[in-house]
Amino acid sequence: MNLPNLFLADLGPELELSAQTVREACFALRRNRELWLRQQRTRTLVELISYVGDQWRDTANHFRTQALKAAPELGLGATTLARGLDLWLAGLTPETLEALIVQDLGDPKRLDGFVSSSPEHRTGRQSHAHGPELLAHFCAGNLPVPALMSLVLGVLTKSAQFFQVPAAGGIVPRLFAHSLAQVEPKLGACLEFASWPRTRVDLSDVLLNEAGCVTVTGRDERVAALRARTPERTRFLAYGHRISFSYIAHDVLTIYGLKRLATEAATDVVTWNQLGCLSPHVIYVQENGVISPEGFAVALAEQLATREQSEPQGPLPAAAAAAIHSARTVYEMRRAGASIAFDRAREESAFFEPATTIQLWRSEESTAWTVVLDTDPAFKTSCLNRFIYVKPIKRFADVLRFAEPVRAHLSTVALAVPDDVAPALAMELAHWGATRICRVGQMQAPALPWRHDGRPALGDLVTWTDWEE
Amino acid sequence: MSNPLMTHSAGLVPAVLDFIRRTAPDASTADRWSASEVDQRFDDLARRLFAVQVRENPPYAALGRSRGISPDNLPSWRDIPPVPTAAFQQFAITCLPPAERLREFRSSGTTGHQPSRNYHGTESLAVYEASLRPWFAEHVLAELAELEDAELLRPGDRPGFLSLTPPPELVPHSSLVHMFGAAFASFGARDSVFAGRVDASGAWELDLDRTLFALRKSMCANRPVFLLGTAFNYVQLLDHFEANNIRYRLAEGSRVLETGGYKGRTRELTRSALANLITRYLGIPASRIGTEYGMCELASQAYNRPACGETKLRFPPWARVLIRSPETGRELPLGAVGLIQVVDLANVASVMAIQTGDLGVAHPDGSFELQGRAAEPEPRGCSLNVIGTDSITNARTP
Repeated sequence: MNLPNLFLADLGPELELSAQTVREACFALRRNRELWLRQQRTRTLVELISYVGDQWRDTANHFRTQALKAAPELGLGATTLARGLDLWLAGLTPETLEALIVQDLGDPKRLDGFVSSSPEHRTGRQSHAHGPELLAHFCAGNLPVPALMSLVLGVLTKSAQFFQVPAAGGIVPRLFAHSLAQVEPKLGACLEFASWPRTRVDLSDVLLNEAGCVTVTGRDERVAALRARTPERTRFLAYGHRISFSYIAHDVLTIYGLKRLATEAATDVVTWNQLGCLSPHVIYVQENGVISPEGFAVALAEQLATREQSEPQGPLPAAAAAAIHSARTVYEMRRAGASIAFDRAREESAFFEPATTIQLWRSEESTAWTVVLDTDPAFKTSCLNRFIYVKPIKRFADVLRFAEPVRAHLSTVALAVPDDVAPALAMELAHWGATRICRVGQMQAPALPWRHDGRPALGDLVTWTDWEE
Repeated sequence: MSNPLMTHSAGLVPAVLDFIRRTAPDASTADRWSASEVDQRFDDLARRLFAVQVRENPPYAALGRSRGISPDNLPSWRDIPPVPTAAFQQFAITCLPPAERLREFRSSGTTGHQPSRNYHGTESLAVYEASLRPWFAEHVLAELAELEDAELLRPGDRPGFLSLTPPPELVPHSSLVHMFGAAFASFGARDSVFAGRVDASGAWELDLDRTLFALRKSMCANRPVFLLGTAFNYVQLLDHFEANNIRYRLAEGSRVLETGGYKGRTRELTRSALANLITRYLGIPASRIGTEYGMCELASQAYNRPACGETKLRFPPWARVLIRSPETGRELPLGAVGLIQVVDLANVASVMAIQTGDLGVAHPDGSFELQGRAAEPEPRGCSLNVIGTDSITNARTP
């Protein structure tokens, strides 16, 4: 990659970081933010972000091209990465970004100065929302969107930002930061990217102590470890792992609607190779319709095979491929009649459980896609990378019963149900724990201002000052 | 006798025992077969075992049906369908009827995971021990004669073993500890000890007092000690040495056998980093720090030869390694990195063809090198497997 050396991560993996370097970087970031970023108007920043978003939508854009070249390192095909990025970039318009600010903060100028909304006016106040001086992001995984979104939110709150990124996973957000810096070098001077191994607790400690607000994505253990080291005064925002699934009611599963529905479900499985927390692990399909769950599974398998032609799965890491092979073999054995021996819940169950039947559709000679039809309705987490369970279910209430074990980790539920029952199901899901409900096919395409894990993403970053006159 | 392994095909267990006896390093020249005869006999015995296992083992029969592979339709032992270690978490993969399942070896796994289970009966345990002894002796006791020459051990004396694991009676489901126990009985001095114990949560921990006492005793007597344990056992011991600034210099000729296994632990070291610490704190040179590779689903173990500076691992002649593509499942040519599959004739009661989740490269001489464990990948996006995951198990851990 031919990039100017703007960030520590640009200097390559050989760079041995010291606590002093990280501390000095934090100092420089805060100073640059004070000298420039804090003085900018929100509208300027919104337009800057949308301008760079437009550049990235151009397929000839140098930074985009570079980003797509990194796809194999992320375990994705280039077309999968391109489509995933485009879904996110579509939200980077001035209108949407302002909608986000108004949604979370009540007024588009809230970050520029004191504003009085109607309820505030009535109570004799004006108020101003301001971001932390320095935002520290501890990013995990290879999918770029969470870090990209953090980057945009941090620019909107006019905060300096330090990204601690995984070696491979940090490439795309860093390239996006380079494009922002190319358009406005002073903004680039308020951003930093660096990688260091988990064992360098000394470096993480410096960053945790320097930042006014810390965001962490990743496993629960990692979140807990960083939370324990974060000073009490510092705001700590954690995004742990989340699980999503879909439900298809038999009323919408018609002969005419089957292909469209299978195409949309395939989109949910294919996007980001199913690796995001908004991707489905299981698709519950209601029984006793015109089309059986099995008929749906066949149609889904066809669509996944088709999508593999236009949007191949890409090179998987060996561990991921091995997990798919292993899971396929286990289901192959079950399909051919092997019965489970050690399912304690089953042994102790007082209810008669009918024997489960398994059907398996999969790509030949590759791990490209797998559909497992399992009549056991218990929720099953998938090994992902386009490995999807289809489970028949009698009624919607059973879905909630069988998905109970993952309730605490729930993110999105995609619904394909008749319009008249949708509001009741949405209400039930909201109270059950879903933080996002969408249509099948839209799971990985949330509106930009969506409330990540049920929290206002921008609103959580700011601090308010009320001014009573 | 009702056991199919004994009754069908004129007794497979004696045939496997005979194969082990004739191909073991200590076999007499009169018993030895030529290389081509070994190949021929391996293929022959593998076919006969497959015929019994695919018939007597319902989950395996299912896999055979699904793949369309039967004893009548088997080009070579290489085509015997392997069972992934993950399948041992879900199915009772055994030829033994419930009444004959005397022992059960389990993988540890992390909490919330089903462990893998591999059953043994009287005959299969006898094969297990017949398999482990000669190969353990060949690799761990290789320099016994040298010790005698150097008068560190009197002729006929047995070396003192110190296992950092709990004793077999506390962890009856550990195949590793069973193996150590068998080695103690066959090769160890009478004062050999297990210095580990099991804490309230069932986790293994080191009894430091016992360990240090045993180490000091061997130092005072200037008697070599043979340390056995998982990598994490050593980390616990060395952490204590580091924290208290202790350094021992164990008697000349002392050895270390490390068996991998960190799963679920907070600290992991690379093999070379661990070896460096062992050298620094125990005074045992790298040339005497050996590695073992095994798992509860297998009956045979692979070892390296640290004295020659080799990191390559080698199974005994009755277990062979194939490397398969993680993407297509097909066998890969020599030198390519892929998933390690083991065909272990000594695995008489379950299945002999085991697909591990470990990555490696095979060499023309039958040895192989680990290229890291295909452990659970890093968090992907923010999605992670929480429960009931179809994950792959690693090699044996405590």
